[in-house]
Amino acid sequence: MNQANVENLVNKLRYNVKPRRKFGNSDGPEGRLRKFQKTLTALIKYERLELNYRRADETRGYVDQLIFEAIRHGPEHKETMDLANFWILEKQLMHKLFKVLVPRYQNYTTSFTKLHKAPNIYPTIHYDRAILELRGNIYPSVEQYNQYEQNLLHNLLLNAAKKEFRMEKYKEIADNIKQ
Amino acid sequence: MITQDSVQESQNNKKAKQNIEQRKAIPNRYRFIYPEFLPDPDPKYRNLLREKLERMDMLARRTHVAIPEFYVGSVLAVTYSEPHAPGKVNKFVGICIERKGSGLRATCVLRNMVNNQGIEVIYELYDPAIQKIECLRLERRLDSHLRYLRDAPAEYSTFPFDMEPEYLLEGASVPVNEIKVQLNPRPWLEKWERQELKGITELQLPERRIRKAKAAATPWEKYDLMKKYRETIPEEDQNEIFNEVHTKLHEVEITRHRQKHKRAFVRPQKTG
Amino acid sequence: MLSPFAMLNVASRNISTSTPASQIIKLSRLRVVDNSEIGKKAMMEGRPPRCIHVYNKIGVGYIGDRILVAIRGEKKKGILVGLKQQQAPKVPKFDTNNLVLIDDNGTPLGTRIQVPIPHILRTKMKEKTHSKGADYTKLIAIASRFV
Repeated sequence: MNQANVENLVNKLRYNVKPRRKFGNSDGPEGRLRKFQKTLTALIKYERLELNYRRADETRGYVDQLIFEAIRHGPEHKETMDLANFWILEKQLMHKLFKVLVPRYQNYTTSFTKLHKAPNIYPTIHYDRAILELRGNIYPSVEQYNQYEQNLLHNLLLNAAKKEFRMEKYKEIADNIKQ
Repeated sequence: MITQDSVQESQNNKKAKQNIEQRKAIPNRYRFIYPEFLPDPDPKYRNLLREKLERMDMLARRTHVAIPEFYVGSVLAVTYSEPHAPGKVNKFVGICIERKGSGLRATCVLRNMVNNQGIEVIYELYDPAIQKIECLRLERRLDSHLRYLRDAPAEYSTFPFDMEPEYLLEGASVPVNEIKVQLNPRPWLEKWERQELKGITELQLPERRIRKAKAAATPWEKYDLMKKYRETIPEEDQNEIFNEVHTKLHEVEITRHRQKHKRAFVRPQKTG
Repeated sequence: MLSPFAMLNVASRNISTSTPASQIIKLSRLRVVDNSEIGKKAMMEGRPPRCIHVYNKIGVGYIGDRILVAIRGEKKKGILVGLKQQQAPKVPKFDTNNLVLIDDNGTPLGTRIQVPIPHILRTKMKEKTHSKGADYTKLIAIASRFV
């Protein structure tokens, strides 16, 4: 049993954090981080990515934590600047982190990123795919609302009303035939 | 939709305000004084109910036996029931070189030199056999553990068994002892050069060993945000835990403070 | 020229078998802590005794166990009175593996033990002593200090 490391405080991530995943990498843990560096930089640049699910879910924590650190300490803090410098490969995006993302996420109570499952491309890609996006981006929503879903309440009511109307009509017709 | 959002937002604002208030009430130093109240961060060992029950047991134990504030590098005296000793009571004095474990399993390792023989004893802080824990010298060191005292000369870990407790001034912060320990020449028990220790003087190493240490170094680890996250308890969870135990701990602290005052107060004697 | 296996054998004679895991097994070096003549001489020479047998069924010596050592070309029995190994809570762990030499009746060869002895040894020695058998409690009597 270990003791929690109390030296540095961190904010709680607002999604279900999975145990650490292993990614086959000949460079070891350093190469592992390099993978996430690329994904993180691309996510901050484009705000929405489609990639493998495992990598997306693992990178998500790094993105959230980096924004948390930026919110907590701001650009004047030397260590935070060092962190941002390590994680963001394209240096013009550093300004985006501190000037755009920090104000955007200041009062958020949900996770700063969103992960969607995406269909994998048969037969070329066998891995689970995902869409990772920063919340509050300018693109149209990934989740499309299907108003024709059978089980939605208004559709149920409409169906019932239709059925009732039809039954009444049949009754009328039957009465007419009798006469 | 808009009204819903605004309602949610106002609720969230309320929550945020509450959080700030809680943070004010709970001193920031609590996580350093009572690290064992925080559970093991490994999700394999998490069990909220067990943790809560353990915290209750720890508080109950603390009302009976005062476990003082101490850090790695403080000198402690532990009096405990020893069924094997003739008086059934034993006392050990030593410097705390390591603190480990969480919950009821929290331990500290005390080290001392007796008759030029290095001795280390592991004590479980919440062991019912412990009768008294005294902090003889309250201070911190530069490192999170002092295992390197095993490879240091005897003078760095020698403390007399009849050591008098040293009291700090009221409200003074815990002093940091910035002593640099000169280690014995190799062989050592661990590869100290790889641990980034601050409390030891520069090590004399052969070229090959320096090269190997450099190859084994992990400079990227300080950027690994999720590694840091997974080896600690997030701030929100810490606040929740300390909120639960805060009042009881505060009470215990106050009673102990009063007793300490009684000890410090010397009744003036009639003269003439 | 020796074969590679023989070379390995020769090299292994000079390595310590008491690694930081510090189990007392056959060929572990120990430190004699009483003031017996033979023990003092062996320690002064820089050729500390070697364990050549552990009198239990595991083959690993723990605190209070009786072992056979080779010391200055002789075979002597001894009791382990302090170990480097990780110990249970409240049992002291020592910086060296300490040994007190005894004879077949359990009487120590020396008259004084210079280092502290763990309290738990009192009980362990009493448990091992049987009427008509060897009396190990004499070892407790010559200890100078307990921790």
